[in-house]
Amino acid sequence: MDFRFTEDQLTLTESVRDYLAGTHGPEVLRRLDAATEQGNAPRDPAIWQGLVDMGLTALLVPEEHGGLGLGLVDAALIAAECGRACLAEPLVDTAFVGVPWLLAQGKSDQLAAIAAGEVKLPLPHAINPWTADGEGAAVQSVDPLRVLTQGSGPDDPHLLNLGALMSTAQLVGLADAMLAQATEYAKIRTQFGQPIGAFQAIKHQLASCAVAIEFAKPVVWRAAAAMQDGIASAPIHVSHAKVAATDAAMQTAETAIQVHGAMGYTYEVDLHFWMKRSWALAGAWGSRAFHLKRVDEAVLSGTLEIGPQSTFA
Amino acid sequence: MHLHYTPEQEAFRAEVRAWMEAHVPKEPLVTLECKEGFDQHVEWERTLASGNWGMVTWPEAYGGRGLDLIQWLIFEEEYFRAGGPNRANQNGIFLLGPTIMEFGTEEQKKRFLTPMAKGEVIWAQAWSEPGAGSDMAAISSKAIRDGDHYVITGQKTWSSRAAFADWGFGIFRTDPESKRHKGLTFILFDLNTPGITRRPIRQLHGDTGFAELFFDEVRVPVENCLAGEGEGWNVAMATAGFERGLMLRSPGRFQVTAKRLVELYRKHEAEAAPSAREAVLQAWMAAQAYAYNTYAVAAKIMAGGKIGAEASLNKIFWSELDRSMHRTAMQLLGAHAELKRFDNGSVNQWLEGYIFSLSGPIYAGSNEVQRNITAERLLGLPRVGAG
Repeated sequence: MDFRFTEDQLTLTESVRDYLAGTHGPEVLRRLDAATEQGNAPRDPAIWQGLVDMGLTALLVPEEHGGLGLGLVDAALIAAECGRACLAEPLVDTAFVGVPWLLAQGKSDQLAAIAAGEVKLPLPHAINPWTADGEGAAVQSVDPLRVLTQGSGPDDPHLLNLGALMSTAQLVGLADAMLAQATEYAKIRTQFGQPIGAFQAIKHQLASCAVAIEFAKPVVWRAAAAMQDGIASAPIHVSHAKVAATDAAMQTAETAIQVHGAMGYTYEVDLHFWMKRSWALAGAWGSRAFHLKRVDEAVLSGTLEIGPQSTFA
Repeated sequence: MHLHYTPEQEAFRAEVRAWMEAHVPKEPLVTLECKEGFDQHVEWERTLASGNWGMVTWPEAYGGRGLDLIQWLIFEEEYFRAGGPNRANQNGIFLLGPTIMEFGTEEQKKRFLTPMAKGEVIWAQAWSEPGAGSDMAAISSKAIRDGDHYVITGQKTWSSRAAFADWGFGIFRTDPESKRHKGLTFILFDLNTPGITRRPIRQLHGDTGFAELFFDEVRVPVENCLAGEGEGWNVAMATAGFERGLMLRSPGRFQVTAKRLVELYRKHEAEAAPSAREAVLQAWMAAQAYAYNTYAVAAKIMAGGKIGAEASLNKIFWSELDRSMHRTAMQLLGAHAELKRFDNGSVNQWLEGYIFSLSGPIYAGSNEVQRNITAERLLGLPRVGAG
């Protein structure tokens, strides 16, 4: 029993965080957004190639197919970093949802190409009324950096759990980033002769977000470990994580805009990119209500063993 | 991330379970907040000690079993699963004990820890003063050095367990010229020392869980000082870290409440509003989240890490969770909620628990103070007001 990440996991996560912080700041989001106004997709082959060069498309691909052969816990950590950077390229879907799903199906023909960054996998599923980064007629998302196309897909339970898991990891990363942005703004915005962050009315709201995020993260990591280990109750833990991460991200998004005041309601302040991604991922791969119902069925019907002796049931 | 117990850990769980099933009182004890209940709980501490379960993480030399924090969590899970009573000596074993372990001399460890683990000496805390509540650095009770004694004069209040306990600990101003966090010293004292007057305070529920302490030239030997004169604030902050961060409220306590809440909901399902159903699910989810987080904190400490200001996040979370779980139960109980005993004669533990849960966001540093600490030390927002 060891609820810690390995040194390797922490080192990898930090290097991805640093890389994205250095190459994928708000100015990149604004540039991609501007491209959409010219009628172009908010995608950039150079960004994608950078992720490929970092080895991220190969993360879960087994070594015999040219990958790194890492697990879903590693992927969840990186997905959180993708959320933190508000990354728009379809890395999480392709490499952290698509690859483990293909592996579970025993399909290996595309793995080497995915690892090499040559293939991006659209993942149509019955739970979503759209397909992200698919082929077909465009559907517009509130998130200007998401590329959605018409078309749903089959109702595959494993794909749903993988998609939901990776959305929760991104949501906690998004929440972290929004809390950081609101905190920075509260330090520099002055009113009544002091930074607004010196007022307890601001401090306590931001502290409450920190609490929500702190206690959503371990649920996400537990869900990732449960999926990686393939334990029978894993779908329940994914659903728990979806509720917890959604709540933390939504609370943080609403607090962050409030702390920014009228500035937060403008398109000029970068916060909106993170906020809109949060809204999108909160609904993707099963809404909060959908996942709460799955928790309900397990906890209230008695199919899941509950109580102090059953922490890791 | 390895979320499976080893065979040794499972065997340890089985050992705890068997012992608890054989020894935990079948009927709930009378509340710890009155003399009769306090005596029952002290008796239980001694029963626990007879099985060498007083404080499993302490070294065997000090009355423990030398176990690690994962084993402690397993112990706690089984303790709450079996319905183990509240710990009369929680101020000792969970707060002062770890503090002595970190700051005490070998002599002090031998002198204080073993009787604590064995339930022979029950401890009260003495932090707050009438003028120093949330603002603990405003402490004014003085302990003036006189030869090989300190002479304590002043007043403490909200002193948990002090109505009936044997010993107390707190911080006192040993440098009368000092201000705020400086010049404070952490001192342990026998509550029966001449010059100490205890005045029990009736709490919300009508019983006397805490007391005021009046010190009138109370002479306490210098060797009862922990970690040296003037170090009191640092020592107290470490104690508060143990209190808020890990030991005081282990997850089993909340997981068992969540489980009872699920059972209560099932009984009242027909007339319950959908909102109650969601609140029950939230209770289970939050109690689980708290457990995962505690396992993560335990693993971090076992690897040599420390609990810092994130202990404040913890304290906010468990105290507000406890209150919301009990509030949900009160709503499910409807007209039965106000009854002190149900028709079958059993004590309404939801009512007692709800009343107790209202103290959670206040004790161990109010949640307003915890949110300030979170904002200032974790998020780096500007400090105001504090010197």
